[in-house]
Amino acid sequence: MAGVEFSRVRKEFGGFTAIEALDLRIEEGEFVSLLGPSGCGKTTTLRMLAGLEFPTAGEIRIGERVVNDVPPGQRDIAMVFQSYALYPHMTVRRNMEYPLRKRGLPAAERQASVLMAAEMLQLTELLDRKPRQLSGGQQQRVALGRALVRDPQVFLFDEPLSNLDAKLRGHMRAELVELHARLGRTMVYVTHDQLEAMTMSDRIAIILAGELQQFAPPQEVYRAPANRFVAGFIGMPSMNLVDGRLAHGSGSWQFMAPGIALPVPALAETAVAGEACLGVRPEHVHIGAGELQGRVQLVEQTGHENIVVLAVAGGIRLTCRTPASMIPRMGDTVDFRIDSERVHVFAPGDTGPRLNLPA
Amino acid sequence: MMAAMSTGGGEPGSQAESRTSRSPQAMLERRYARLGLLLIAPSIVVFSAVIIYPLLAAIYLSLFELYTPTLEGGFVGLSNYRELLARGEFWVSLRNTLVWTAGTLSLQIVFGIGMALMLHQNVWFRSLARSLILFPYFVSTVVAVLVWRWLFNDLYGILNHLLVEARLIDMPIDYLGAMPNAMISIILVGAWKYFPFVVIAVLARLQTIPDVLYEAARIDGAGPIARFFDVTLPQLREVLLVIVLLRAIWDFKEFDLIFLLTGGGPVISTQTLSLLVYKEAFALNQMGMGAAYGVVMMAIMLVFMIFYIRQARKGDSS
Repeated sequence: MAGVEFSRVRKEFGGFTAIEALDLRIEEGEFVSLLGPSGCGKTTTLRMLAGLEFPTAGEIRIGERVVNDVPPGQRDIAMVFQSYALYPHMTVRRNMEYPLRKRGLPAAERQASVLMAAEMLQLTELLDRKPRQLSGGQQQRVALGRALVRDPQVFLFDEPLSNLDAKLRGHMRAELVELHARLGRTMVYVTHDQLEAMTMSDRIAIILAGELQQFAPPQEVYRAPANRFVAGFIGMPSMNLVDGRLAHGSGSWQFMAPGIALPVPALAETAVAGEACLGVRPEHVHIGAGELQGRVQLVEQTGHENIVVLAVAGGIRLTCRTPASMIPRMGDTVDFRIDSERVHVFAPGDTGPRLNLPA
Repeated sequence: MMAAMSTGGGEPGSQAESRTSRSPQAMLERRYARLGLLLIAPSIVVFSAVIIYPLLAAIYLSLFELYTPTLEGGFVGLSNYRELLARGEFWVSLRNTLVWTAGTLSLQIVFGIGMALMLHQNVWFRSLARSLILFPYFVSTVVAVLVWRWLFNDLYGILNHLLVEARLIDMPIDYLGAMPNAMISIILVGAWKYFPFVVIAVLARLQTIPDVLYEAARIDGAGPIARFFDVTLPQLREVLLVIVLLRAIWDFKEFDLIFLLTGGGPVISTQTLSLLVYKEAFALNQMGMGAAYGVVMMAIMLVFMIFYIRQARKGDSS
């Protein structure tokens, strides 16, 4: 078993810088998701770890070994691709056996490994089929099986579930979590789906434009986003972000925007009066009583709750959650309050850092 | 697979039969059937005129002894065939045809795949090379053969000139007038002329092989050679089946290149069956005999093709 470490890793394609200077330390046996919007560099990061791309500068380690110049086949990793990348002319058995064959393992050992992996993934019945005779979910499991038989130090996943339908995706998520618990191997998982990252990971690395924004456990990423980008990226529906001004008076901070004036919790020393951004999760906006007013613009009923969009003065919109039983009428003006103990304050800018004092 | 499809397709038909023939659905089906016939009729007419008729005519002619200019003569039954099988010239020509086909075809395939792999790499002259490589295939056979005859010429050919200059040979070589040089020469020129077809077909297929398969193979520990045999070649298998089938047919009945290069000589050492058909029918004016050779040629090809397609199917299902 081994951890993974990126030190000052930089990657350029021609003149374009895909990864700026990445520092990331993944512990042994950890399940880490690389999360970010398309083109943020998360796949490039994974491919550098796999050895399919080479870093322009910096160092990548698997365990104690620097692997910058080690070919993919000798890194002791296995990778599951988004398109599965099964060899179409080989049976399931041959596909799973292939990496072992290339390592020159004797036939009996190969057979044993394949059978064990096949049993674990319920593929035993399918061993003699060709990939084209399998469903998407089955192909996905074969790809997983091909990774499993190797018993590698590190598993790499490149958006492995994005070609599956929603139901199967949920099922495979659970299977992967179970697999991780059983094997205890280091797993690095690239996704643009925050639900996958949140539900499966020990820690999430959120990347934007080649730069690491935050690297923390899912709950921390949700409760204490490092900056405005992370705050807006994590959470469904996403956090309300309101631009306004920060004022200091009589030992406490006050946030002001059209129609909203709110005392905010203690802020870090770096906070200064002036432009700022207020972040409020939809579950911390409460309709019913309160000193603020807004007009109900949209009500989405999801079954177990309702998502309500309120229009406040100055073109500000706030999304909030209400219990299923409470369905406001569209067009009505309602009173509401913001749970001021739970708000976040960010410095201005797209990636303005969070100014709240750590809890 | 086929069985499953045919039973699936059979069900609606049998249901329709059990209904009364006057039901609207049955009438509609009959109208569709008529429309279908109408739509394929033009193809059938053309197919009959250009394929079925000449085929039957050739078989018919082969049963006569005919003088080509007047097409006069008498019915001789199968005696043309008896005579043909007893002639040494037929067997020599058959052997020449097989040697030529096997030789030139294998060179085309090997060079074709090699060149396609090279052009598939990221080389800076790729697009230029890709268009240049087609040149031999596009140039007219007559022109190509004239050029090659100059190159091969034993008095003023550049090939002999260079070899003598380089002191690799003392005397000019007779490339087209001696054996086995003549056979080797036509095989090489055939390979040069037709390998671009293989290049284009293989290159087209190479470009559709997903990169991710190579990446997966690299991670699985496959080196460049293993990647070629485990990823590239199996992916090329289907296109190669088609190429080999087509090129084998075309090479088997190749006429102009050989005729213009050696005329079948020295004596009949490079005379293939196509040249023999031509000689019988138009040089010796024995149309019936020529037709008989033609029919035998077709039969040989047919046997080969059926065998080949069977093998291909077997390989596919395993």
